[in-house]
Amino acid sequence: MPSQDNTHREIQELLADYAGALRDGCLPTFLKSLTREEAKRISESEDFHQAAEIVRLMNSVGFGDSVVTPNVGLFISRVDAAIARRLKKAGASTRERSRNAAAAGRTAVTQ
Amino acid sequence: MDKPLRNVLKQLTASDTESRRRAMEPFVRATFAPFIRHLHRYLGNEVECEDVLEDVYADIWENPEHLRAIENEQQLLRTVYLYYMRKRLREVYRRLNRSSHLCQNDVQNLVAPELSLCDLIAQSELKQVLHKLLGKLKARERKAIELWMEGMSNRAIATQLGTTVGAVKMLEFRTILKLRHMFKEYCEED
Repeated sequence: MPSQDNTHREIQELLADYAGALRDGCLPTFLKSLTREEAKRISESEDFHQAAEIVRLMNSVGFGDSVVTPNVGLFISRVDAAIARRLKKAGASTRERSRNAAAAGRTAVTQ
Repeated sequence: MDKPLRNVLKQLTASDTESRRRAMEPFVRATFAPFIRHLHRYLGNEVECEDVLEDVYADIWENPEHLRAIENEQQLLRTVYLYYMRKRLREVYRRLNRSSHLCQNDVQNLVAPELSLCDLIAQSELKQVLHKLLGKLKARERKAIELWMEGMSNRAIATQLGTTVGAVKMLEFRTILKLRHMFKEYCEED
């Protein structure tokens, strides 16, 4: 977890906290914990961004396998449901467009 | 690329939405593991990875144009990352960025960066390469990285190495930069 009590973290501490946050799955907490000064330090440090690239690879090698669920079937149902929602949304907007077009047509005729 | 995946990709890029929907199941089965592993690099959180990947697959179903001329698995992963995953990763952090002091560009560099040379190494190869490169480090450097990758905290690593937490963080930082240099050399040689 990022050490949020320390508000003047040096670049190596920031990298360690970034790596810890990524490994623990709490990257948003790390991003929120940054002070303006620390954000500036990250922004100016090419070393930080280069090191972060390797941290991501290490995270992938060390912990990437833990996310591969054996039950893909359940996930497939989620994807199918997401597609169904999009189809429904697309259908609804098409119907709305036709209704609007029909209403506009009726108005034109009455005028 | 194996024949079943090639066929699925063909179906997936059909103009008919129902055919594409039917093709999603075999496509997800064939690609779930490499895709979620890749997302885990940037998110590190299983629940978020699945949420993002669900949207990524739905986006692919809706607009599969970028997958028309795919020739191998590596190209598939690269294309899916560049055209579908990055967009979703940016969205995950867009809302958060309002309360962060990091500028949009830096957030993007951290959560949805451009693909670097190192990112192009296949996952199976990556493990071997990292193992090989770790072997080239000094014993203390290697130990610090290996313990970190076993899930140990910096405090626990400091205890193991008989040093302070601050010294461990500095050691990790320098070692990671050294590893980056070695990775770059490996990729360029390749």
